[in-house]
Amino acid sequence: MNWRLINWQSQYRTLAVLASIVIGLIAINFMPVEQQAIAGWLVATTLQMATPLVLAGLGGMYSERGGIVNIGLEGIMLMGAFTGAAVAYYAKDPWLGLLGAVMVGGLFASIHGVACVKYKGNHIVSGTGIILFGTGLSTLLLELVWHQKGQGEPVTNTVPDLMFPALLDHPFLGPAFSVISPIVLFMFIITGVSWFVLFRTPFGLRLRAAGEDPSTLDSAGVSVQWTRFIGVVISGCLAGLGGAYLSIGFGSAFAKEMTSGRGFISLAAMIFGNWTPFGVLAAGLFFGFLISMNYFIQIYFPILLPFANFIAMLPYVLVIIALGLIRKSVPPKAIAIPYEKEKKG
Amino acid sequence: MSVTQNPDVEDTSDNSSELIARIEEYYKGVIAKLTGEEFTNQFYWSIGSVLLALVVSAVIMVMAGYNPGVAFVWLSYGAITKLDQVLWYASPLILTGLSVALAFRCGLFNIGAEGQLFMGSMASALLAYLFAFPIVVHPILCLAVGVLAGAGYGFLAGLLKAYRGAHEVVTTMMLSYIAILFTSWLVSQNGPFWDGSMVPRTPQFYDTALLPVIFGNYLHLGFIIALMAVFGVDYLINKTVLGYEMRAVGHNIDAAENAGIDSKKKVAIALGISGGLSGLAGSTEIIGTFDRFTANWSAGLGWDGITVAVLGNNNPFGVLAAALFFGALKAGSNTMQVIAHVPAEMIKVIQGLVVLFVAAPRIISWLVDHSQTAKDAVEKEPAKALPWVLAALFGLSSVFIALGTARNIMVLPTLTPMVLVSILILVLVALTGILVFVTEFTHDPRGSFLLLIIAVGWLEAGIAFYVGSGTIEVTSLIMSAISFLFWFALNFLAKGTIEEGEGS
Repeated sequence: MNWRLINWQSQYRTLAVLASIVIGLIAINFMPVEQQAIAGWLVATTLQMATPLVLAGLGGMYSERGGIVNIGLEGIMLMGAFTGAAVAYYAKDPWLGLLGAVMVGGLFASIHGVACVKYKGNHIVSGTGIILFGTGLSTLLLELVWHQKGQGEPVTNTVPDLMFPALLDHPFLGPAFSVISPIVLFMFIITGVSWFVLFRTPFGLRLRAAGEDPSTLDSAGVSVQWTRFIGVVISGCLAGLGGAYLSIGFGSAFAKEMTSGRGFISLAAMIFGNWTPFGVLAAGLFFGFLISMNYFIQIYFPILLPFANFIAMLPYVLVIIALGLIRKSVPPKAIAIPYEKEKKG
Repeated sequence: MSVTQNPDVEDTSDNSSELIARIEEYYKGVIAKLTGEEFTNQFYWSIGSVLLALVVSAVIMVMAGYNPGVAFVWLSYGAITKLDQVLWYASPLILTGLSVALAFRCGLFNIGAEGQLFMGSMASALLAYLFAFPIVVHPILCLAVGVLAGAGYGFLAGLLKAYRGAHEVVTTMMLSYIAILFTSWLVSQNGPFWDGSMVPRTPQFYDTALLPVIFGNYLHLGFIIALMAVFGVDYLINKTVLGYEMRAVGHNIDAAENAGIDSKKKVAIALGISGGLSGLAGSTEIIGTFDRFTANWSAGLGWDGITVAVLGNNNPFGVLAAALFFGALKAGSNTMQVIAHVPAEMIKVIQGLVVLFVAAPRIISWLVDHSQTAKDAVEKEPAKALPWVLAALFGLSSVFIALGTARNIMVLPTLTPMVLVSILILVLVALTGILVFVTEFTHDPRGSFLLLIIAVGWLEAGIAFYVGSGTIEVTSLIMSAISFLFWFALNFLAKGTIEEGEGS
């Protein structure tokens, strides 16, 4: 069968996704009640696991669309998680915590931006530095703020969940959506906004041009450096928000190295999603689903527990298969190439 | 018989003298490289980055309430007195660093050295406890198997990259997670190689498999192997056809293709060799330091390899120096933690800062260039240039004072919202201070505007603090006054120079 028959590049793709969601919902409606509850639980866990991945992945997308590789997402997320927890702990207000996490994330990314854009350093090197610096600093500050090793004191004022009591009685929608963190909703909103910004605004066009062909952007009279720098800062803000979700949205304390590789997985989600907002969302949800399958098996199929490691491996294996055998990913053309203005002769 | 033997003997001696000559030539080449301009420049940059990183980490330590002087003294004391530990920590880092560096030279970013290391160490662990061999043969076989396992694992990612175009950053990283999960399953309760204890680990190795300790309490033969690998990789990269072709692919893949190099093959081979080096790192550690395979034993040796390669600028000897530096930091950090009570995490902060500064060598050249021009200007016309320099220094000191004040406020017993706002403003003032330093140092006309901002910032921080706690913060008021003064003075000076320029 020729897969090209399905024209994935057109608007039919959106239609197909929406149709499959609707068909899925209808199909779930016909399942027994207990299974509907399990499905609902699975959906809720998927959303929880996917949120930090999607947020950080979108951040990485902004940076890489502008031509700056940002492998420092892991370090930025950790700083965001720490700041969110610390500010919420002291100021007793989770929203200030989120704001602080976003700001610190942007600040951290701006270090990367200065090193890569202004001083034309190697992006990978600088990103490695950001990871090390963020990991070390967040752990150091953890000991300093809470005088504890490993895990900080629990934050009582975490981001309050949104309640939808109307959904509570439904066997599927109840466990899935009746209690939902606002940050999960932010994830969807930010994805939509990112699509709009990237493909429907002058700034998005400039950002993409900075990543694809900076000399054209320069001859149009727009500063390549500033465009790229702003892209990097946005990436840091989003990664900081993703980190804060871990410490004060989903969890309620900051722990040492609590992101445990999520920054890298979100990079993979970004590549898997082909550097597009909805692609990142889909890839992030998919990874979130695979991670939640792990919990699902631990709770509902304890027979499979001896093989839990293999189930945990599944996302990684699938990514390799998908990238190696199914599709090729196409990064922005001018990625990781510092832009030098041509000197006047 | 003797007649027929003689030419043979002569022949071998001839070979050996030729070999000696080649070694001498190679040795001279190494010396020439070490004294060459490129290397010394790189060396200065690295030293400059380390110094800058130490300065910034000292600021962080002051902010955190530690004494940086005491910390650095004990750090260096620990590093000097525990030489065996330094070399012991450094030896796996040398190998993983070489692994990442070699891949970098071919234009590949092997982020998954950790996984190759786990695969290599697992393979040699199996050989070390399942099979019995004589004393010298056993470790050699273990190392060989470890290298092969790591190389195979790296080669897999190389094949995916070369023939399927899968980005190696993603595949090596994913393979690395798979390796960690797989090996920890192998030695877990459900796995085939579990020793039956509470801990997920294999039974103990045969004594014949272990590498001997050569110096002190820790340093094992792995260090010598790592040193040999440094020379081997240097030879491979710089003196062989394969190394030349790999560098060509890394430099410009299209040009290499046009020159008739099979770039796909080279990519796969490069990742294979890279994986082999990581596997060797794992093998030497597992039969040198440990006597059994425990799940998740490595704790980031592969990740550190990336940093080491980066710091060593992907040059084998640079990698050696960087690994020794990291080993020294690690060995010294224990002393620092025990005696100066500075958490060992500080080391990670220092490492990150070093790498950040290494990433942008232009920061240091920027600093050097502008220091030179500022010095010249002060020598030529001190009256005109001095205020600028003073304003720059004021910006820098304002960073420290703002952060210090913020810290002093933070430890106060009562934290009202207005006081938190005051802390926030102080942090922003510190950031503006950096910008003031940058602009004033480069004689940027925007500097005076920033001075106004910083003056207002200091004032607002003082006001917010007063509103929040009812006491006056003297420091911020003084700083505000000074920055207003600078603003007036510099505006006045600038006006004078403009009029002067118009007059002439």
